[in-house]
Amino acid sequence: MDLVRDILDKQVVDRKKVKIGKVDGLVAELRPGKPPRVVAIELGSITLARRLGARPGRWMAGLATRLGGKRHSEPHRIAWNKIHDIGIDIEFDIDVRETAIFDWQNWLRDHIVGRIPGAG
Amino acid sequence: MKKVLEISLGVVTSVGGFLEVGSLATAAQAGAAFHFQLIWAIALGTICIIFLVEMAGRFAAVSKHTIADGIRERFGFNAFLWPLLAILLVNFLVMAAEIGGVAIALELATGIGFHWWAMLAAFVAWLFLWKGTFGIIEKGVSMLGLVTLCFVVGAVMLKPHWGQVVAGAVPTVPNHDATNYWFIAVSILGASISPYLFMFYSSGAIEDRWDESYLGTNRAIAAMGMTFGGTISVSVLIVAALVLAPHGIEQVDDYHQLPLILIPIFGFWGFVLFTASLGIACFGAVLEVGLQQAYLVAQGFGWTWGENEKPRDNPGFSTVYTAALFLSALPIAVGLDPLRLTIFSMALTAASLPLSVIPFLFLLNDERYVGNHRNGMISNAAVLFVIALGFALAVVTIPLQIFGGT
Repeated sequence: MDLVRDILDKQVVDRKKVKIGKVDGLVAELRPGKPPRVVAIELGSITLARRLGARPGRWMAGLATRLGGKRHSEPHRIAWNKIHDIGIDIEFDIDVRETAIFDWQNWLRDHIVGRIPGAG
Repeated sequence: MKKVLEISLGVVTSVGGFLEVGSLATAAQAGAAFHFQLIWAIALGTICIIFLVEMAGRFAAVSKHTIADGIRERFGFNAFLWPLLAILLVNFLVMAAEIGGVAIALELATGIGFHWWAMLAAFVAWLFLWKGTFGIIEKGVSMLGLVTLCFVVGAVMLKPHWGQVVAGAVPTVPNHDATNYWFIAVSILGASISPYLFMFYSSGAIEDRWDESYLGTNRAIAAMGMTFGGTISVSVLIVAALVLAPHGIEQVDDYHQLPLILIPIFGFWGFVLFTASLGIACFGAVLEVGLQQAYLVAQGFGWTWGENEKPRDNPGFSTVYTAALFLSALPIAVGLDPLRLTIFSMALTAASLPLSVIPFLFLLNDERYVGNHRNGMISNAAVLFVIALGFALAVVTIPLQIFGGT
């Protein structure tokens, strides 16, 4: 499998098929004497900013920490062994509600979107 | 029978997307200043958009990806960022121009200055997106858009010299005002080949759950819908040429000149029909571009998206279209001239085409996405042509903007 071609930047869904983001980064473990092994995928703005360069990455990490606290100072990671299916989307056997990935969307819903009449 | 219904609905929908303030204003300018000589630009733009829309639909139906998904996945985030920013900017300007069109229609109808209407127009559009479903937006609004057929009726009633109309479909060099001629030609191409049209179309195909059985439907909708839209644009050009020029108006530089074009044909009702056509066509475009902004961001970053879900369940998506609508209303609300903004945004659209169209060359030839439904020679030639055209337009747009703009 070609990781960059077949995994990176693909749509990620959780076990309930909720779209939770794209595969923004891959985390590999270096092992002495053996080839590196993928251990997790990363999602979120910090990872994306790091792809643009070291400085944007630091800025974004600072911004995320200021807005979201310590919980958001590092990129979100999903362990590779949770992978369930690779098709049009990549399905992970997790529930997004148990992660911090949707914290900002939940904040938007609770503080802005949900308060506007007719939001459902 | 079901297919026939589907195709006719699709055709009506694409007319709604095709005809908006850009094609109206540029066609009217072309007709007033150069008689039928620029019909070729509308014809060329229509042929290009037929190819791009067909490809966007085929890509979505076979790969189950929207064009935005495809670009991000195939080229990676860093490359995706450029078309993303370019299309967001172009869409922002186009949407501001469309809100300007709605506001001008309301000014024509009430006599109250257009800048007072910008925020209200954005608010009503927002209400449609907030409460409506994709079906209502796609079908309901574009049904109303059929009122623009009054231009076709008007053009036929004026009994143009059809030989001259056909002659206008062949590109020729102007014998006066060459810079203005080419600038209008560029704006017409920008108005016809709008990235939001094919991007929106691919999102619509996913919202409507298209699969490979829709390929024939897709081809029919793309060809007939865009031809239909192009016919209306040509009619606007014909009417403008036969009405405005004899009245001594050769340079359309003010929206208030435009309602004149239907009055000699329909009398007072001509004024009503023009105002309604402008208002409805632009309002439909505001909805489509507004949705497209949200689709683009949500698809690019992998959030939940879909116009059929409630805003509560889609907070990121609904926040993007809310912000996009009100931001785009600002330039009009502070009194920026809608006509100048329209012409400027159409020229910029043309210049941005290489960024949004180059990905088609790769996506539609990649069998991992489109299997054995890859582009043939003709489709690839069409994409290459649009890219070359886009580059040429980008190079000439900026100097023309300075020297030839209205």
